[in-house]
Amino acid sequence: MTSHRTDRAGLIDRTQPRNFTFDGKAYRGFEGDTLASALLANGVRVMGRSFKYHRPRGPWGAWVDDPNAIMTVTLDGRSFPNCPAATTPLVEDMQARAVNAWPSAAFDIKAGLDLFHRWLGAGFYYKTFMWPDWHLFEPMIRKMAGLGDISRDAPKNYTADQVHDHCEVLVIGGGAAGLACARAAAEAGRGVVLVDDHPIFGGGLHQSVQIEDRTPSEWIADQLAAIMGAGGRVLPTTTAFGVYDHGLVGLAEYGAFGTAPHLHRMRADRIVLATGALDRPVTFAGNDRPGVMAVDAACEYLARYGVLVGRRIALASNNSLADAAEAMLTQAGAKITRISPQDGAIRALGGKQLKGLAQGLRRHEVDTVLASGGLTPLVHLWRHAGGKLDWCAARQAFLPGAAPDGMVAIGAANGTFDLDQALSEARAIGAGNASDAAARTYSLTPLWPEPGDKGRQWIDFQHDVTLKDVELAARENYVSVEHLKRYTTLGMASDQGKTSNMAGLAAMAAIQDRPLPEVGTTTFRPPFVPVPFEMYHGHHGKQLWHPLKRLALEPQHRAAGAALGEYGGWLRPGWYGTGNRGDLIRREVLSARNAAGIFDASPLGKIEVMGPDAEDFVNFIYYNTIRTLKPGNIRYGFMLTEGGIVMDDGVIARLTENRFVISCSSGHVDSVREHLEAWRQDGNNPDRIFIHDLTQQWSTVTITGPKARDILAKLPLGLDLSAQAFPHMTVQETQREETPIRIARVSFTGDISYEISIRSSRASDLWDKVVAAGEPHGATPIGIEALSILRAEKGYIMVGKDTDGETMPHDLGITIPRLKKKPAYIGDRSLHSDKANLPDRKALVGLAVGDGDKVLPTGAHIVDGTLSRSLGYVTSSYDSPTLGHPVALGLLENGSARTGEIVSVWHMGETRQATVCAACFFDPEGERLHA
Amino acid sequence: MQIFPCPFCGPRNETEFHFAGELGKVRPDTGKEVNARDWATYLYAQRNEKGLVREVWLHLTCSELFVMERDSLTMDVRASKSLRGDAL
Amino acid sequence: MRDDSKKWDAPGAPTTLEMSDGLTITPVQLARQTLLSGVDVLGRTQHPIAAWSGVVTAQTYALSLRRDRVLLVNGPALADGWHGDIAQAVSDVSDCYSVFDIRGDRAFSVLKRGAELRLDVPSKSVARLLFGLGVFLYRFEATDTFRVHVFRGQAETFFKSLKFAFPSL
Ligand SMILES: [Zn+2]
Repeated sequence: MTSHRTDRAGLIDRTQPRNFTFDGKAYRGFEGDTLASALLANGVRVMGRSFKYHRPRGPWGAWVDDPNAIMTVTLDGRSFPNCPAATTPLVEDMQARAVNAWPSAAFDIKAGLDLFHRWLGAGFYYKTFMWPDWHLFEPMIRKMAGLGDISRDAPKNYTADQVHDHCEVLVIGGGAAGLACARAAAEAGRGVVLVDDHPIFGGGLHQSVQIEDRTPSEWIADQLAAIMGAGGRVLPTTTAFGVYDHGLVGLAEYGAFGTAPHLHRMRADRIVLATGALDRPVTFAGNDRPGVMAVDAACEYLARYGVLVGRRIALASNNSLADAAEAMLTQAGAKITRISPQDGAIRALGGKQLKGLAQGLRRHEVDTVLASGGLTPLVHLWRHAGGKLDWCAARQAFLPGAAPDGMVAIGAANGTFDLDQALSEARAIGAGNASDAAARTYSLTPLWPEPGDKGRQWIDFQHDVTLKDVELAARENYVSVEHLKRYTTLGMASDQGKTSNMAGLAAMAAIQDRPLPEVGTTTFRPPFVPVPFEMYHGHHGKQLWHPLKRLALEPQHRAAGAALGEYGGWLRPGWYGTGNRGDLIRREVLSARNAAGIFDASPLGKIEVMGPDAEDFVNFIYYNTIRTLKPGNIRYGFMLTEGGIVMDDGVIARLTENRFVISCSSGHVDSVREHLEAWRQDGNNPDRIFIHDLTQQWSTVTITGPKARDILAKLPLGLDLSAQAFPHMTVQETQREETPIRIARVSFTGDISYEISIRSSRASDLWDKVVAAGEPHGATPIGIEALSILRAEKGYIMVGKDTDGETMPHDLGITIPRLKKKPAYIGDRSLHSDKANLPDRKALVGLAVGDGDKVLPTGAHIVDGTLSRSLGYVTSSYDSPTLGHPVALGLLENGSARTGEIVSVWHMGETRQATVCAACFFDPEGERLHA
Repeated sequence: MQIFPCPFCGPRNETEFHFAGELGKVRPDTGKEVNARDWATYLYAQRNEKGLVREVWLHLTCSELFVMERDSLTMDVRASKSLRGDAL
Repeated sequence: MRDDSKKWDAPGAPTTLEMSDGLTITPVQLARQTLLSGVDVLGRTQHPIAAWSGVVTAQTYALSLRRDRVLLVNGPALADGWHGDIAQAVSDVSDCYSVFDIRGDRAFSVLKRGAELRLDVPSKSVARLLFGLGVFLYRFEATDTFRVHVFRGQAETFFKSLKFAFPSL
């Protein structure tokens, strides 16, 4: 095929040829080309297949408005799906393939689908595959659906840089208006950022011969130099893809092909939209044929790339911009036939290859049809920001109306289609003045889809929605534009209806005989053009995806061979050593019960509450009475929500009259701190209560087990450790080498335990000494898995595991405060609601199974005899190494009254028996605890 | 991403804040008898208004609990004010 | 649960990172950090107060954190607990926060990867979220030097985030 490249220089560099392939065939273009311009220059027009009917398609547009030419592009062994050919810069050695076409766009095996189009109308899939079950058909349909394939391998070195930024004035769009406005604003002393999605600024200006006595390139260079000279920044190949709250604009700055775009989260005091306007398609039979293009696209291909898209061209336009286009294309050597589409229905002739255009009985032998139904301003970002649109009858378009805060539209985006007027408007706005309205020369004859017209007339090229589909939707009463959109999928493809929405709305308006503005538009949502997911992802990957807090003692745990995992936001030892994990955990449990376990409890909350009102405050915060707690003593308690639900459990120590330490559970520290701060300032006197979260200042090493006292005694702390001097639920403070040490005698295992806290930088020293002291006794480090078993044996709960969103303290057997505590506390009234008083509330129980039976599955339902209803469920369940049989905890309706009852436990179709018992399997008398 | 004005810190990104409730919720004095209806209203009745709202927010980084007046429709923030009587 | 030890890099001893263009990240050992809370603690402190975005030049200074709280850096040793005489709550937090200095022409640009920061918008508090982590951030000694206090358990994450913000680090 002969070249379509003309003498017109364009913006390409003809000294730099670029070789590439398309659907396996080799071609050559130039630096500065896009894939689409290079293919058009080579005479290639069929660049893709449509989504549903696999119709051959070629480019309609020359930039982001092209819905048709979508390719998978491979470069250096990495492939990128869904690259729009019209915006993808040509790079040496690119291998492009049309999506949705196999083996090639020109010859597509599935094209036979087009023959069945009568049955594939809107709603076809919904209606056809309902019976007997959508899921039977879903896999097959999913395989056929979608555009492009994602490579299985994540591309390496493909990470989006994400940066926050700010400017006074952000000008979006670097055409004539944007450039003039940015310059005026910069010269008025504003901090300006100008962005444009093209690599070369100027917008449609390159189609002009002269502007203000300069060539377009000279004029553009002048403006850019002036902007930068005045301190402004300019960002080419940067798309403003969304406007978010409070002046935040998402900017995707593209670099070389195959590299991830940079995300600028640009906060702009003022946003100027100079985004221009699009040529909208004319709806006629066969308007999707390759060779039917936008008038403006043909001009852009010529102006930017020196490509003349056809030689015998029918120019079917309803507006005054056609004259300039005709002159430009004629000068480049094309023979133009002007058609007035409003004078009678037109239809494209031919198949893959366009043969001509017919209007009534007249046939025009042409190789190309250029169409324009008028200009549609690009108001997407205006609508993202909440700006209103007004219908302009003179221009037959929605124009920016009431403005969102800090935003203004200029130039073609504002309906100012005349260059001179756009420049004066842009300069006025840039300088901070109001713009004066001058006379307009743009004119057009209204031209919209006419229902009932013959032939298949495309409204949405990318999603294959025709005028008949819109008519069908209207017949089936999907008349609201939002319903129309979802029923027909009009505007829901990756181009988001840039070229189709107006035609769709107009068709619906015509069908219903309503004025177009009354039909309204669908919602515009970011992103304006598809952006890679990577841009939102950035550095939030791998270890930074959900970063965990790290223990001061992690090196000690690693040295001891710990298996580390996430527990409540911390990376903590699950167990130690290599080998069978169950055996290792079992051994740890036994060593804790027989000698002692050494446990890193550092993440336990250490939130100090201080001040003259500290006592009243903690008494209000806790379900349990704290007022009566004496300095040096510790109490176990619950924090409730105002709904009376158990939010956290833990111990609280009173160190002095005005100082308490709240030891909330490890995973709840942040939420408990916020809870305390909110209540401190709401309803309490914040000048008399102060809350310090010292969780990470202190590390805590726990020794638990019958030998705990002997081991602790080996550390020279100078304390009397006898049960009389240092009983259960008390705390002692001491010092070692001028380092404060706090020892709390509390237990989460049912055995005598000491929690030794020391400043974190000294924790490793303490850990080493405790491990050394424990070794002769047979004490070993234990991980969380062993601890979970130890506490379950004793029936100690974990909030959120053994409780749910309905559990109140009396469901857990802690009933006294509910009945006796007089002063107000959070959640108090809720504990006496009708619901709280119900006798069949789910309560904590133990569940015993027969000797030799398997462990009950955690989460298994406790069901009534007929399996018709769940009465509760198993919350914790382990094979107890200490007792030699399974133990389980559960929540069960009316649980406390069911002791001794045999219940059915159902899991995955299997039903077993268990006996309800007290929720404590180990040392129910507490002799070991108080030893 | 909205910008909220903490009465102490000044304007900060919304990620630093938590919603704490609608303004005007007063905890009934549970030292006295509180009827079920009043308690349920306190717990569950939200005005959830469209347009101008006054809410209590917590600035997580400085723990300031404050009142913010904003428009729930346009997301405009009108003003913020400390809950403290002696606020700066 | 499973063994994820390999998934997480063992935290290394903090070391200085230096780039060819002079951008450096240096771990800082402070003599002492003390949390002081009380009514008008800001007005009553004897030491220079650090807020955003001024530059601290003293060796002993108080970070303005809240309406009623400062972090005293390199101050005298004080006993933990409630000090009724001055109506202040006192806690030694020297081990609670790890401290880094980020210095160089590009320092501010690196930090803007982690938060919406503006030097021209002052703040009475140096507490903010940076890379999603609660930190204290202020300028120390020079306009191109930023000092960060981050919870010690999150120092590894913070350091990694900085490295990611500039892959060339
Ligand atoms: Zn604040």
